[in-house]
Amino acid sequence: MNGWCGRLLAVDLSSDRIWVEPLKEELLQTYLGGRGLGVRLLRDSYHLDPFAPEIPLVFAVGPLCGTPAPTAARLAVVSRSPLTGTIYDCSAGGRFAWRLKSAGFDALRITGRSLTPKVLAITPQGGELLPAPELWGQPIGETVRVLSARGSVAAIGPAGENRVLFGNIMMGEGNAVGRGGLGALMGAKQLKAITVDGDRRCDVADRPRFDQARKDIMRLFRASPVIFGDLGIAEYGTPALVDLMAQRRMAPTENFRKTVFSRSGQYSGPAIRKAYQPKKDGCYGCPIQCKKSTPEGVPLPEYETVSHFGALNGVDDLRSIVQSNTICNQLGMDTISAAVTLAAWGELRGEFLHTEEVAPLLRDIAFRRGDGDLLAQGSARLAAHKGQPDLSMSVKGLELPAYDPRGAYGMALAYCTSNRGGCHLRAYPISHEILRKPVATDRFSFAGKARIIKIAEDTNATIDSLVACKFSFFGASLEEYGELLSATTGCEYDPQHLKSIGERIYLTERFYNQQNGFTAAADQLPERFFVEPGSSGEGIEVPPIDRLRFAEELEKYYRMRGLTSEGRFVDADFLEHQP
Amino acid sequence: MKRQLEKYAGKLIADGVADASRMAVLAKDDRILEVGCPEVLRLGRAVLERLNVVSLVVAAPSLPLVDVLFGRLSPQASAIVPLDTETRTFLHDIPVVRRDQFSVEQPDRLVELLGQRKGVLVEGVGIMTTGSVTVELGYINYCSIYHALFIKILLDFLQGKPPTLKEIESLHPLWKRLQTPIPELIDDLREVRLDAHEDILSAMELAGRRTVELQLVDSFFGNISCRKGARQYISQTGASLDELSGCIDIVADDNSSTAGITASSELIAHRAIYQQTGCVTILHGHPKFSVILSLLCEETDCRIEDCWRECQRVRYFCGTPIVAGEVGAGGIAKKVPPVIGKTGTAIVYGHGVFATGTRDFAGPLGALIRLENDCRREYLRLLQDRVTDSSASLLMAQTPA
Repeated sequence: MNGWCGRLLAVDLSSDRIWVEPLKEELLQTYLGGRGLGVRLLRDSYHLDPFAPEIPLVFAVGPLCGTPAPTAARLAVVSRSPLTGTIYDCSAGGRFAWRLKSAGFDALRITGRSLTPKVLAITPQGGELLPAPELWGQPIGETVRVLSARGSVAAIGPAGENRVLFGNIMMGEGNAVGRGGLGALMGAKQLKAITVDGDRRCDVADRPRFDQARKDIMRLFRASPVIFGDLGIAEYGTPALVDLMAQRRMAPTENFRKTVFSRSGQYSGPAIRKAYQPKKDGCYGCPIQCKKSTPEGVPLPEYETVSHFGALNGVDDLRSIVQSNTICNQLGMDTISAAVTLAAWGELRGEFLHTEEVAPLLRDIAFRRGDGDLLAQGSARLAAHKGQPDLSMSVKGLELPAYDPRGAYGMALAYCTSNRGGCHLRAYPISHEILRKPVATDRFSFAGKARIIKIAEDTNATIDSLVACKFSFFGASLEEYGELLSATTGCEYDPQHLKSIGERIYLTERFYNQQNGFTAAADQLPERFFVEPGSSGEGIEVPPIDRLRFAEELEKYYRMRGLTSEGRFVDADFLEHQP
Repeated sequence: MKRQLEKYAGKLIADGVADASRMAVLAKDDRILEVGCPEVLRLGRAVLERLNVVSLVVAAPSLPLVDVLFGRLSPQASAIVPLDTETRTFLHDIPVVRRDQFSVEQPDRLVELLGQRKGVLVEGVGIMTTGSVTVELGYINYCSIYHALFIKILLDFLQGKPPTLKEIESLHPLWKRLQTPIPELIDDLREVRLDAHEDILSAMELAGRRTVELQLVDSFFGNISCRKGARQYISQTGASLDELSGCIDIVADDNSSTAGITASSELIAHRAIYQQTGCVTILHGHPKFSVILSLLCEETDCRIEDCWRECQRVRYFCGTPIVAGEVGAGGIAKKVPPVIGKTGTAIVYGHGVFATGTRDFAGPLGALIRLENDCRREYLRLLQDRVTDSSASLLMAQTPA
């Protein structure tokens, strides 16, 4: 078998048992890996409470991981989110995925709950559970330092230990398994960290074909201004978007009350470069190296983080923003959800946080002290608790990232149709609505957006299963990645076939959510976006979203998905017909 | 979406790349929307229904290039490999489908291949392309394949089997068109001063539109810029040169803002040209005969396989330098600036022409036109040397004096 190992490492923390299970080739060919494989592996347990000991936490790599395929040294972590209650996956880079594959595993499935804190150490020979009482309570940096001799590390910080609902799992290199609180789920299992090391080579079935596809992809990367342009993400990281979002008047400001923050230039890509002289950093084998870190190796914030700890909270101090990022990384918390929750808190109390209040409150959230205990539950629970649920800027309980939906109507729709809640990456319409890739679309129009979003969701479900980085698709497409996959595995995959795999994955997730009680009512934006305008100016009008037009396009979307007008499955036995 | 269908169907005709009586443009919303002739629509519908894409363009090219291609292909050939840089970069190889491999009732082969690639060449039908995001993308892919096909066949006439009398006859409208040089419609561009912000935008929009109208680009691609102080006005990536309003970025030399991340992929090349030449305007297009002649390399003992990227030589056509280099960060920015200073024009191997101006856009547009006219004349001269007497007389009779 090329591309896959055909093995899953199963760990039951309740009984301290570790064993290897075979993964059938047919299953791997059908679900690829990453998100698809993880979602499939949850078929018998998607209904479990996220904090139930029996719920599996799945780490799954993809068939391209371990090969020189650009941006494919990634994995997906899949379970049910304690924050949203939806099925949940998150893709992360670093070196952990590559090492897991090199240890000879396509997936790791962790169930049960340990009575005491543990570390799981994985090698090609299998796994071992080590006691880790001394690491419990330690921040990520210290945990990684202690464990780094054992290979790559994925760990939780105090936030995960304390079940902060947006607690992350952090990769040792600074990459986050973020957003949906899978760190809290890992904390509930009393699993502090996982280490992995391996040296297995990943063979490719057809090397000349692989090399040709790789060459084609690299040519497309070089042709993409977003990737390798003078002002692109390889140079400035994702904060390259700060200036663009300001110019487009869609930078969420003061809990989405406004869409322009006049002082955003203080934390733009060029401002970060000037202040920190960052070095290029990134995931294993990635040619883009979009991550930026200080010369001392401290990761610098991404676009979402600078914008939300900046504009969204009315903060213009770059040092404070970088500090917030570092605190979240060290304590293991999602920066988007943390910042949106702080902004909601600011609006609820009638005053946004002063710069000096941010860091202490972030620590209080991670350790669940004082007001932090309530904020640790995310903005939706916080706002509901305070009797003003409309002030949570979230969809399905997941806090919205830094693209105001009033400035991009495809994004507005995609936030709602996303199976994991308010996420920009499921359909990533920013690619065409803002970055003009592969072509530009009219960001202030709903025309045709339902179909575009549907196709993009299918495509991205595939990408998350390969597992490749979304940024690759500012240049390349499934055409080239299909070639890489075919060359790697020896099985033929073309874009149409791959999109059908993605469609199955998307529908499976939606079905899980439906069975867990989600209805069309959850496919809705916060009321603010339908009644309050954004910040118009400089010839750009940012009106509230037309509710009727939004509803029409959402209904079209349901039709295209084969769902009822209420967004429900016609076939109650949908899962039984899936491989 | 219906408006989009009509817009791009109209553009295909206006561009002179599709036969209006044998074309259809279709799109999927929550149902299929379409414009075009009934016969072609039937096939288009049968294919689009089964594809997970947004749009489909089916059309016979205005010139019978697909017929000529199939007449020249070996029976075993399953695809053609484009020679021009843009198509080579974005579309890779282009599958071919023979008449006996499909029907309206059984379009499986077309569906299969369009599920793999952005477009196919279909015997008896023409070019079929898909758009994964918009109708426009289907149109762009169509134009790219038309461009690739044109370049490939006309180059093959010079380098491969010489054209037959029948082929020459079938391309009669082309030879006739070549009798008239591209007109130098540039005087109005001389009149626009590039001082005020609004004037610069107007001049760029006018020059871009004229470049498309004179068919000096494939579809509407190419890029244009103007230097003003320490800033550069430049068309955005994927912007239609004939619809530049709202699609021009202003980029500061010192990168104090990254809002220009949406600027053309050739921003790097434009910047380097400004730095090394002191020019004020740049226009980049893909005139077909300049591209064809750039691909005519007489080197016989050369080990380079990837000529588009690796060739280090500077060749010349009528004094204009020809260099290699791929799009964006792929080498153009390194190879064009050192050679463009003397003549104000440079041809990129298999790609297109960069032209510079010292005060307005009349300069670079005029240079682009004159170079393309020179290349057309040279092409016809070379072709005449390769055809039989009867073909030559037919061709010569229609060759411009």
